[in-house]
Amino acid sequence: MKDNNKNAAVDKMGLFFGKAMVIFTIAGIIVMVVPAIAYFLGYKQFIPHDEVVRYWANPVAKFWMLTKGAPVHGYGWIFDNLGYSDSVSMIGVMLLLVTPLFAMIAAAIKASGGIFRFLFFVSAIEFIVSVVFKMN
Amino acid sequence: MLFAFTFLIGIISPVSGVGGGVLFVPIATLIFPFHIDFIRGAGLVMAVTSALSSVPFLIKKGLANIKLFAVLAPVMIITSVIGSILGLQITNAFPGGKYYIELMLGVIILMVFTVMMMAKKLEFPNVEEKEMDSWSKKLKIKGAWFEPSLNRLVKYNVKNLPISLAVFAVVGLIAGMFGLGAGFANVPVLNLLMGMPIKVATATSMLIITANSPAIGIYLTKGAILPSIVVPAILGITIGARIGAKVAEIIKPVFVRWIVLGVLLFAGFMNVLKGLEGLGILPHIFGG
Repeated sequence: MKDNNKNAAVDKMGLFFGKAMVIFTIAGIIVMVVPAIAYFLGYKQFIPHDEVVRYWANPVAKFWMLTKGAPVHGYGWIFDNLGYSDSVSMIGVMLLLVTPLFAMIAAAIKASGGIFRFLFFVSAIEFIVSVVFKMN
Repeated sequence: MLFAFTFLIGIISPVSGVGGGVLFVPIATLIFPFHIDFIRGAGLVMAVTSALSSVPFLIKKGLANIKLFAVLAPVMIITSVIGSILGLQITNAFPGGKYYIELMLGVIILMVFTVMMMAKKLEFPNVEEKEMDSWSKKLKIKGAWFEPSLNRLVKYNVKNLPISLAVFAVVGLIAGMFGLGAGFANVPVLNLLMGMPIKVATATSMLIITANSPAIGIYLTKGAILPSIVVPAILGITIGARIGAKVAEIIKPVFVRWIVLGVLLFAGFMNVLKGLEGLGILPHIFGG
């Protein structure tokens, strides 16, 4: 079960899965962090940071009531307010959310056998269904 | 302080095979002023991000098994959706129900802890080719990685894939029900049932956790993810997880075993405590 070769052979689909994951994770973190820096510097805040600090000990529905007058449902609070740095930062979180999906698609393209291609495509479809379900 | 705290969790995560949420949520509830809703949201984003940050490195080193993930993912994604539906129904129809489940979950984790504590050969279980099940053989689900502590390449085989699939279906159900990454359940199944070496089990567990990312959508749609909390937490765990992935490669398997056992004990204890709190048997300490 053991030999002296230092290089473990890694499947091509694994490497593609990993590469796609690196690209989208870095993109997600950049899209999340850069607007957040602008936010912390006080640039175009949808909810001012000092208000967040004042109310963050409250349950989420009450927090939104106190800061914006009503609780939020869905992604509207992000997409309707893309002129604000804190809302743009949330696009980065959304990118992180879909990163495994893109990694699965990349792996499916480079899959070493038909069965793995099929399994990754099934997973990708289930993933999309799962995202849609959890959005609602 | 939040950055430093999540940085430490980031180092522990890839070594122990848990996303970090199971460590972050209970401790953050005690030391930070945020409401549990925001802590849970941040905990989930952190768990997924720590997995996303460490998995590419772990795959490259041969530690995370992509073929096994390909087989498990279709089952776990679907059962985690079913788990989410069940979780919402339990909460709506029987508000105290989740506390009984939390209590049971804690007891199960502590039982797994006891079994892992007593089990032998966790570091390098020896699964011979003839012990492999027919599915694993056909799909060639095996692998190898260079183990620095032994200074040689270690090959491994897996067994019991069909029964493990059924167990992972249940794990996915629990993960969906509680919005957890369920790394604490993945590692014992991969290690004890499938015979994966402990380092491969923890790395593959991180890979499995990435499939839980859709749950982030729940917290985003409720507005429970805010840059003021999430960004320092993510920066801490991302940098920590990159270091953790390198530590996971070079650390001795025996230490990995002890870290996994420590995390299991902590997670089990916290779940029992939270269940008892929720049922009103103990006074509230951890909130939510």
